[in-house]
Amino acid sequence: MAHLSPDRLADSALGIDDPLTAAEQNHLASCAECRDELGELSRIAHLSRQPERVAPQLVPTDAIWQSIQVQLASQATAPATTEPSPEPPPSAPTIAELPRRTPKLRSWFLVAAAAVFGLIIGAGITTVAVRDRVEVTSSIPLDALPGQTGRGTAELIRDRGRPELRVQIDAPPTRDRYREVWLINADGQRMYPLGVLPDDGRATYPLPPALAGQLQGFNIVDVSIEPYDGNPAHSRESQVRGVLPT
Amino acid sequence: MTQSSHAQIVVEPGRVRVISVVDEARLEPQVVGEYIDWRAATETELSIGFARGDEACLQEVFRRLAPLIYTIAYRTLDSSSDGEEITQEVFVSAWRARDNYQAEKGSLSGWLIGITRHRIADRQRARGRDLRLVQAVTNTTDQVQPETLSTLVDRIVLTEEIGRLPHPRGTILQLAFWEGRSYPQIAEQLDLPLGTVKSHARRALRHLRTQLAEVTSWPT
Repeated sequence: MAHLSPDRLADSALGIDDPLTAAEQNHLASCAECRDELGELSRIAHLSRQPERVAPQLVPTDAIWQSIQVQLASQATAPATTEPSPEPPPSAPTIAELPRRTPKLRSWFLVAAAAVFGLIIGAGITTVAVRDRVEVTSSIPLDALPGQTGRGTAELIRDRGRPELRVQIDAPPTRDRYREVWLINADGQRMYPLGVLPDDGRATYPLPPALAGQLQGFNIVDVSIEPYDGNPAHSRESQVRGVLPT
Repeated sequence: MTQSSHAQIVVEPGRVRVISVVDEARLEPQVVGEYIDWRAATETELSIGFARGDEACLQEVFRRLAPLIYTIAYRTLDSSSDGEEITQEVFVSAWRARDNYQAEKGSLSGWLIGITRHRIADRQRARGRDLRLVQAVTNTTDQVQPETLSTLVDRIVLTEEIGRLPHPRGTILQLAFWEGRSYPQIAEQLDLPLGTVKSHARRALRHLRTQLAEVTSWPT
């Protein structure tokens, strides 16, 4: 006889409707294909009766996501490690500091990423005395988002002790629109507007008081293109972006 | 009636644009210039954005799938710290290897779960070495055989899929599988003809079979 229909196989696996006829059972005995299919359907029906639920609230996604960003950022800027400074300045995050902020992520993976990252930051930092009492804490590239052009840098600086973000981008302003600089949380939800970016693409902004000590996860520097529509929210159109080290 | 989502996605050099999405169950993705609201994207749209290297898309993939990946790793390895490490390893390595992902070969979630299986198997092998070492030293051999990795992963994936089935199909399977109701009982409870209930159950089972095959088909 012909193969058993998908419905008959499903019925048998689910134990519904009429039991298999003698002819169907004979076919099963001689047809490996139908037997395998019935076996797999029966296995699925059996396993489905023992639910194993996902518990989203158990997942520390923020910490994991931040760690992923650190690793991806360290890969993206990896060429900077070609000439690492031999001794990273003390303000660079050390291997010992990173695990403290994400206490459960102890993999060698993360430690290695932190080590590489430390070198990058070391390379990116200038322990400046170039400008009067302005110290550059970290410096990152800002890269264009898909479909956008432009690039730039963002630097965390201390100007006579005051924490500030200095932004410089090389991208043409868009006609009839203006640009705004934001610090976005790694959760992608919360953000601080730092201020409008002048057309020459250079500006320095004081950090919000809540972030003066630590960035608290608001380590994504984002430059958005805003229409003159009176809406203070992020337009959700970004030109360039970069991730500050945590 | 249920209408499946229909998205026209225009892929051009340097951008992906979702032109229109027809789906009664959700809002359309907001298209603002080049920006795409990935939170409203379908899995197909997400997998295209992922393959193209949009980091905002990666974040949305993470938001949707990290709990599933974490649960699989946590339950199979019985350790929250291992679960967290595997989860981050899976997303980092998937992102780096995104060129290997081919949407026509299967779903993005299936691909990620495939990577997860491999990472867990590696971790279990490493543990096995440690365990054999301990046994060699302490001369103990008693070992509780844990549920096999693939069975546990299948159960987690099936639970997730059953939970995502639309009503009434999902409700019918949940009542049948999770609450042990008979099909006549379900028909009465949902006020549906018995034949309709059985027909939903058959199709749902075949759907689960397809989904599971997708998850296990990636060689990685």
